[in-house]
Amino acid sequence: MDFELDEKTKERVDHFKEFCRAEIRPRASPLDEVPAPERILYLKKNLSGLGRQGYFHCLLEESLLHKCLLGEHLAWACGATFLAAAASGVAFGYPLKRFGTAGQKERYAGRLASGEGTGCLACTEAQAGSDLGGLGTKAQKKGTGFLISGQKDLVTNAPLADWFLVLAWTDEACGLASGLTFFVIDRSAPGLAVGEPVETMGLKGAVTAPVALNEVFVTEEAVLGGRIGQGYGQLGETLEEMKLALSALALGLGTACLEAATRQAKTRLAFGKPIGLFEGVGAKLAVMFTLLDLGRMLTCYAAFCRENGEENAPSLASSAKLFTGEAAREIAHLALQIHGGHGYLKGHPVERLYRDAKFCEVAYGTSEMLRAAIARDILKKYQTG
Amino acid sequence: MEFSFTPEQVMFRETCLRFAREELFPRCEEADLKGEFDFTLWRKLGEMGLLGLPIPEEYGGQGADLVTCCLAGEAVGHAGVDGGHTLAWGAHTYLCAANILNHGTEAQKRRYLPKLASGEWIGAMALTEPGCGSDAAALTTTATRSGDRYVIKGAKTFITNAPLAQVLVVFATLDRSRKHQGITAFIVDRDTPGLATGRPMHKMGCRASATSEVFFDNCEIPLENCLGGEGNGWPIALEGVEWDRSTILAPFVGGAMFTLESSARYATERRAFNRPIAGFQSIQNRLADMSVFIEISRLAMYRVAAAKDRGIALNPLYAAVSKMYVGDRGFEMASAAVDIFGGYGYIHEYPVERNLRDAKLGQLGGGTSDIMRMIVARMLML
Repeated sequence: MDFELDEKTKERVDHFKEFCRAEIRPRASPLDEVPAPERILYLKKNLSGLGRQGYFHCLLEESLLHKCLLGEHLAWACGATFLAAAASGVAFGYPLKRFGTAGQKERYAGRLASGEGTGCLACTEAQAGSDLGGLGTKAQKKGTGFLISGQKDLVTNAPLADWFLVLAWTDEACGLASGLTFFVIDRSAPGLAVGEPVETMGLKGAVTAPVALNEVFVTEEAVLGGRIGQGYGQLGETLEEMKLALSALALGLGTACLEAATRQAKTRLAFGKPIGLFEGVGAKLAVMFTLLDLGRMLTCYAAFCRENGEENAPSLASSAKLFTGEAAREIAHLALQIHGGHGYLKGHPVERLYRDAKFCEVAYGTSEMLRAAIARDILKKYQTG
Repeated sequence: MEFSFTPEQVMFRETCLRFAREELFPRCEEADLKGEFDFTLWRKLGEMGLLGLPIPEEYGGQGADLVTCCLAGEAVGHAGVDGGHTLAWGAHTYLCAANILNHGTEAQKRRYLPKLASGEWIGAMALTEPGCGSDAAALTTTATRSGDRYVIKGAKTFITNAPLAQVLVVFATLDRSRKHQGITAFIVDRDTPGLATGRPMHKMGCRASATSEVFFDNCEIPLENCLGGEGNGWPIALEGVEWDRSTILAPFVGGAMFTLESSARYATERRAFNRPIAGFQSIQNRLADMSVFIEISRLAMYRVAAAKDRGIALNPLYAAVSKMYVGDRGFEMASAAVDIFGGYGYIHEYPVERNLRDAKLGQLGGGTSDIMRMIVARMLML
């Protein structure tokens, strides 16, 4: 048992953190404030910079622990950039890498890894989020290919993505387990239309839009992994990966909050002393530190167990996402509280972090769904009779 | 990073689980009700080698590493659900014997450790006083050098094992004006004239352990009973937190593991509105939260233990975080278990009731949660 990171990993993480501090962090505020078209320009700059740093290569090739550790630092610098990178490198990249055919990998992985190409996952619909039974997008056999029609919602990266990983029914009668299939579709495919970007509460730099598919024709080669009816299982694996990515996001945002709050607690004076020396403020810092420290440990452990194929890995990924997601919201709340009125002002980093953090409780598994999933595993284990 | 136990550790855990299930669990309800320490059980803990677990073999112990010690504590708490005897074990082994091991002279180790390791003697540590707990450095018990003796005067309270102990590690000050630097540790034998203990206190939880006041009325001890040198008591007390905030927490974490298991089983058996209550989301939410709590507590505890085993100096932040989380969240989770059991959870026959009372100590003993937050805050403000 050893909780320490080896020197090589530490070095790699520190090096990446320095890049994030110098290159990404200065764009965090502009990305939050400027209108959508400009945002996309900033974001593309960040994504290609990350590509040059080998970040997408890390997401595709390196250990889950590395992905979490580097991801946290990226999220610390800019949550929106992290989300856009994860939507491409994990939500699109993981299923490509894990399930894709040799041809699909050859076609997409290189440009994805270099940051030149961007992917996204188009899954959610107006009537289907936690419950995929409500999906309306259908893929009908046509000759040797498929005609896909439907309306996808809340697709992160859609306004700039080159490739869309679309979940659709290939056989609704088979049900979720074998009726769903993933298709990799190019942006240029006739019938695919990206709608106007939606305005989100936080992580505004990660541009999100609906995607309409109107009889989009794809060949069999577009079927992820070349196997029909595997979509549900593939999505489950992808979400597990995304849960740990979201944990890294929560930890990064939380760390940025704690840093800001600690600085404020040391420099802001009231009644003749730094406010952090008052017990109430100090206790808030302690709680923030505790949540981050424990959440980081749980995330690393969940990554370790997933990497080793442990039986409890799915439950641990849910636990890490649940704990860090709720922690991020609580930490952001405490950070704003320590900043008082100043933290409530537009343009203050803590105001942005507060909005960003809320995402962690909502996306890629709401806290409610995560609790239900964890409880299901426990009950399975201890069911009597 | 590597989070696995060795096969030996896993096997030892199994042995401890079986032992606790067979020997502790059947006895602890009555022991808790009566508030009585069970000597038969104590001897069995000794025969199992648990009482001298971290003590090297040359002094009659097992020479186990700290991770193994935590595993044992967790397993006994898990299958035994006995906060009382595990607390007695913790105070004996980790607060008394381990202090003598780490700071004692060869002669002191030879004299005390074998009998403590076997459990023939029971050990205690006396730091807290009626007038000081969290602010331990404000202690007022004095030790005065007089010829070839120290004369100790003062009183201690809330001392676990005091009514039963043959050996006490006692903190007193040689010079109050020197504050922390005056504090010194001493080994005091039970039969020293002038030493008396009060009646066992009626506690809320961990009731099978015996707790009382200790009075020192011009209690004379030989000079060689000074532990770790004059004026070195404060660092000794602080170093003890490594044990306090890892091994002594282990049975609490084990208790939480029991609580989750029994709550999950109960939820599948108990029916309401024509279905098992496990079907209700409010019950599921509690089970999920308990599970997250257990995963995190174990990591926090084993991180402290693993660092010590690898010879890394204790990071006080980690230790404080671990203690605060296990204490505070542990109490909430013990209460959530009582909620799941409803009225049954409120009566004595159900172990979740006992576990809730036992869990309260996690927020108080070995440094309160308030103090843990102060430690973390102070370090962040540096």
